[in-house]
Amino acid sequence: MAAVQETIDQVRKIDVDQYKYGFETDIESVKAPRGLDESTVRYISARKGEPEWMLEWRLDSYQRWRTMKEPTWAKVHYPKIDFENLYYYSAPKSTEGPKSLEDVDPELLATYAKLGIPLKEQEILAGVQGARVAVDAVFDSVSVVTTFKKELAKAGVIFCSISEALREHPELVRKYLGTVVPQSDNFYAALNSAVFSDGSFVYIPPGVRCPMELSTYFRINEKNTGQFERTLIIADKGSYVSYLEGCTAPTRDENQLHAAVVELVALDDAEIKYSTVQNWYPGDKNGKGGIYNFVTKRGDCRGHNSKISWTQVETGSAITWKYPSCILRGDNSRGEFYSIAVSNGYQQVDSGTKMIHLGKNTSSRIISKGIAAGYSQNTYRGLVSAHKKATGARNFTNCDSLLIGDKCGAHTVPYIEAKNMTAHFEHEATTSKISDDMLFYCQQRGLSAEEAIAVVVNGFVRDVLQQLPMEFMAETQKLIGISLEGSVG
Amino acid sequence: MNVAVIKTKAEQAIPELFEKVADTLPGGAKAAPARREAMSRFAAIGLPHRRIEEWKYTDLRTSLKDALAPATEAGLSAEALTAALGPLAAVAGDRIVFVNGIYSAVLSTKFDSSGLLNVAPLSEALASGLANLGAIGADEGQNAVLALNAAFVTDGAVISVADGAEIDTPLLIVNVRAGKTAQSTATRNIINVGTKAKATIIEMFVVAAGATANAQANSATEIKAGDGAEVVHVKCVSDAGEVSHLSNWLVGLGTGTVYRGFQFTSGTRVTRNGINVTYGGENAKLDMSGAFLARGSEHIDTTLVVDHAVPKCESRELFKGVLANHSRGIFQGKIIVRPDAQKTDGKQMAQALMLSPDAEFDSKPELEIYADDVVCGHGSTVAEIDEDLMFYCQSRGIPPGTARALLVQSFIGEALEKIEIETLRDALTSTTLDWLDETKA
Repeated sequence: MAAVQETIDQVRKIDVDQYKYGFETDIESVKAPRGLDESTVRYISARKGEPEWMLEWRLDSYQRWRTMKEPTWAKVHYPKIDFENLYYYSAPKSTEGPKSLEDVDPELLATYAKLGIPLKEQEILAGVQGARVAVDAVFDSVSVVTTFKKELAKAGVIFCSISEALREHPELVRKYLGTVVPQSDNFYAALNSAVFSDGSFVYIPPGVRCPMELSTYFRINEKNTGQFERTLIIADKGSYVSYLEGCTAPTRDENQLHAAVVELVALDDAEIKYSTVQNWYPGDKNGKGGIYNFVTKRGDCRGHNSKISWTQVETGSAITWKYPSCILRGDNSRGEFYSIAVSNGYQQVDSGTKMIHLGKNTSSRIISKGIAAGYSQNTYRGLVSAHKKATGARNFTNCDSLLIGDKCGAHTVPYIEAKNMTAHFEHEATTSKISDDMLFYCQQRGLSAEEAIAVVVNGFVRDVLQQLPMEFMAETQKLIGISLEGSVG
Repeated sequence: MNVAVIKTKAEQAIPELFEKVADTLPGGAKAAPARREAMSRFAAIGLPHRRIEEWKYTDLRTSLKDALAPATEAGLSAEALTAALGPLAAVAGDRIVFVNGIYSAVLSTKFDSSGLLNVAPLSEALASGLANLGAIGADEGQNAVLALNAAFVTDGAVISVADGAEIDTPLLIVNVRAGKTAQSTATRNIINVGTKAKATIIEMFVVAAGATANAQANSATEIKAGDGAEVVHVKCVSDAGEVSHLSNWLVGLGTGTVYRGFQFTSGTRVTRNGINVTYGGENAKLDMSGAFLARGSEHIDTTLVVDHAVPKCESRELFKGVLANHSRGIFQGKIIVRPDAQKTDGKQMAQALMLSPDAEFDSKPELEIYADDVVCGHGSTVAEIDEDLMFYCQSRGIPPGTARALLVQSFIGEALEKIEIETLRDALTSTTLDWLDETKA
């Protein structure tokens, strides 16, 4: 079945030439010299005033990166990146010095306001009591401000930039950094480990339910700059945190590199919910420009009964290479991955997840919806594996994709590896998932067959979108209307 | 990914072996250039290994340790052949028999060489220049197993069914290995089914009593089914020992062709069943299914590529496997829908039942879709025997062993039901039951 008009219109609304966040902020910046060698790594480390061990860790990562080759297995094509021709560090000049809200350059505040990210510590947001979000705003290579820090500190929650964490809580960073995504995990992770400039750090103490949503908003502004941020979230025993991430970049003709690493650690009985609305500049309608988004995201359910849930809405980037994963190490731990990836223009998306079942009675769920339009290529790539000792592992995977137009492609590449007899894995990608019973029910209430499908499918997509915290609903509203009937596995 | 690798013992030995035997291989001067070309292609690409995506789960560099010498002729009585066939002996049909990869006129049916059906051994066809060693598959260039096959091939069946001919009697291509010396065989069947013709072709791979447990088989079948043809194509492998079985099916379908394929595998140490189907005309229908039984440290890999190159075609795949002990089952299925292949209808399912804690199943059902008005789906499941079902059976007074056998039989039966030839279905069901009796979880 082909896509219905409503879907086509909705996808058109978020087409690449409709990109709203493509403006540039004219702000003076400090940059590291172009190119990458040991001195760049030393420069970044020195600027951040990092401890000696951190510099050594970076240099070690740099040496490992030097020996590695760019991965070529993903279904994405792009000209070779000249890593010597990039700026690895760029910071607005005005961010030197103390970082309290009053000291932030008004130009930066205006930028974030324009993006719809309020950096003021409003008591009431949008008239809803309690719907407050603490934001860490990252501009190019540095975190410019983190809001609600004091209030979070009262609950014992540490929420700050990773640079600050390295200064204030080095023991915590040292204990967990690189334990989920090791330095030489992959080419881009190694590069990130060497040159990461900023990012967010979150620590939720035992038994604490984080009093508000935490979020980071990433903005690339400077030309020819790579953004390498590193996020580390630790949920100690019995704690809970919901974390949101958003990103945009100016409209530019050249491609820009974004290679982030996100590490999540959930200890016993802890839960982390990580949501992303990724809206990097996707390039223009001819495929010129746009962000190369090469990101390594991984969560480690280290403790028993822990849970990590990834939700992503991907609409941006020229190239997306991203596989938010869960290592289900603790017994009874649970991993979830909900994704909607929409590609338009000449975008290329190769995204998916890995669920590595190691502990006993672990379970995972994968729901992925890919929508390809224009000349884009949209690939779901996933791994579900149960290791020898992972008795009672359970997985359910459902990945559907929809094509709009005959110049695009939608692909599914799932890997299922069961090394344990008691593993129960189900993978399906079908169009017939809408049950006849549901359709019959809707139709006998007077809906036409098409309306019935729309109702059922919208309800289903909403299920995925509802995994997002309320604050992100505005951004994803335009996607809700997209119905997925006519989708192919 | 191209990774520079050191040549293994077998990779070094194979070209040397080729030099030794090249002059004795059938086809003489006519086939020699193609053989040499294939050998140099193999020398360049080497044995497939884990770093090559299609071979991620089956590493021939580690599993093919030695280059065994090509098998030599071995006498086999009609009784010994019947014994080797076991339950498959009950399948009626005209036989083309190859013992150790060499045509046996004595054991084969005498075919009338003119008329609707032409059957000849490849060795003769190569010598007379009627057949060549090219393939209809597009990717023979990078397929090391096919290259080896072309270099060493000794024999096979060349079958041609005339336009409009309806051949009711199944054609049985029987491959038997015999003799006590470690051996390798390479066979290739070239089959042409004409426009609106009908044919049933069953390939069998069996072992004679007392044969060596150390053998390597490399089998390739190129089959071209014309417009409106109806083809049933089956391969049954029932072997034992440290045996490797590498096979390739290259299937080309015409407009409105109906093709029903089935592969049954049990008893081999390492099996790789490569299946490559390409649609050449609209409204063709493909039903490709299979069942495999693995135990001990057996390794059975089915890698399937269905290429919907034209619109309005249908494909159905169902593969089921039972895995016991330390065995490993692999299913890689890829459905490609090309940009113009609108109205494609593709469905694929791979399921495995694990009987032992150490069994492993790896599945990679892939879709690569470039057309928007299509219905494609795939599914893959892996699980152990359902405790509730076991309990149900036992509560009805069925002993655990019988209950288990019943459940396994019903699981694999769903795939076997795809076979329409009753005698063959019964034979494979009885092979499955014997296998279950002999298998300790």
